[in-house]
Amino acid sequence: MAFLKRRKQSFEGGGLVLFMDVQDAMRAEKVLKKADYAVRLVAPPPELRKGCDLAVEINLVEQPGIERLLREKDAPYVSVVPLKVGTSELLEVVKVTDFGGWIMVVAANMKLAFDKESGVIVNTSGGGCPDIPHLHAEMIGKKLTEAPRPKDVGFTLCALMLDRALEESLNLWQGGSKP
Amino acid sequence: MMLIAGTVPVKDLPLTMGKVGAEGESLVVDGHTVPCAQGTAAMISAALVTTEYLGLEPPQALVAGDTGQGSGSKEIYEYLIQKVAELSPEVLALHYCLPDMALMRKLCESVRGCAKRPIMVADAGSMYAAKAAGLAAEFDIFTPDATEMAFLADPEATHPAYIARHLFDTDISQTPKLVAAAYEHKDAAKLLLVKGATDYVVRDGQILATIAEPDVPALEAIGGTGDSLTGLVSAFAYAGLELHEAAIIAARANRVAGEFAEATPATRVWQIVEQFPAVFKEHLCQWSGVCYIEVGQQ
Repeated sequence: MAFLKRRKQSFEGGGLVLFMDVQDAMRAEKVLKKADYAVRLVAPPPELRKGCDLAVEINLVEQPGIERLLREKDAPYVSVVPLKVGTSELLEVVKVTDFGGWIMVVAANMKLAFDKESGVIVNTSGGGCPDIPHLHAEMIGKKLTEAPRPKDVGFTLCALMLDRALEESLNLWQGGSKP
Repeated sequence: MMLIAGTVPVKDLPLTMGKVGAEGESLVVDGHTVPCAQGTAAMISAALVTTEYLGLEPPQALVAGDTGQGSGSKEIYEYLIQKVAELSPEVLALHYCLPDMALMRKLCESVRGCAKRPIMVADAGSMYAAKAAGLAAEFDIFTPDATEMAFLADPEATHPAYIARHLFDTDISQTPKLVAAAYEHKDAAKLLLVKGATDYVVRDGQILATIAEPDVPALEAIGGTGDSLTGLVSAFAYAGLELHEAAIIAARANRVAGEFAEATPATRVWQIVEQFPAVFKEHLCQWSGVCYIEVGQQ
């Protein structure tokens, strides 16, 4: 007697890309798979449904890299949301600490410190995703206005939060009438 | 064996495992040079300095290049899933990796196959994956900062970028509340070393110690000082200290090293790590009760 065995689940993404229609979802899945992202087509829970009843499950941590790729490939989508209903929105608030000669801006788990006089980034800290040590090496020693934007070159939510910290640092620096 | 696994920002570095050595401000793993900067390298550097001082075997490192796209992270997870039972490390410290819940689940299953269960330490992306997958209780030590503590306390969050705002707004003095919430939802390791203006050492929900001196606020701004703390606690656990003692000594040593280095927000983490031998020489005997007398000294 033969038994059908259900394939064991081997992907737990934690995030959903939502679409207005089914064709967009299928196109996005193709684009993302081609770029080696682990994704799968799923039915979104009713409370998260925006347009169509098909979504792409992604590793939520990879949200910034995935959104950038979809934009680059002109693959339309509505939004990216955490799969767990009840999860909070992406953190928008930041905290600022004045160290005298330096200012540190904290956005979620990421911190960026810059020299008040020169506007040079002296440190980045926090985070846990693999693009963060790379961004640390790329940003330190550069002026806030000349540093690469983590949202443009990073891939993860940690990079997105570091970008928030950079954005607020730029506001503080430029708000202080610095060149 | 103490095994430290994590990605490093060295493009094209293949999956590499080997005993760690130091060369100036860099690490050498199986002939590959890795700069001692924020991330896994800072953690390994701190563990290496500590094991050297204590006369222990240097750590084994399992590293792979990854600048955010996850391929090196996947290689590390898959290697460990296959080999951890055979390697059977005494301490397994997991660090910067792209958080992947399914692979972390498989890794924890493989660890259960070890003849003797290793002391399991997680920080950074590995801690995020463990918590998001509901596997925190499988770990012996987590080393979160204040925001990461809020993440552990938020049962719905799968990454610190998605924590509830009221939890982000809390200051370090609210740590006891966050700790209680994290343990209530089984989202904490057996021991937490919460790093901040005041460090908290917590075991099974009970705060055992707080460390606030010396006060070196700049440490928070220096990339890699949390990583060095994780390296210290891992090495002291490998040395056989009770985990809470390892955590207390690690927290003190990191702070005193910051003081010795006269840390500012512009200090680099290797400048902190290079202070550890001097810190140990001056304080470790008193802190740990284990004292060494160097040959030729009275």
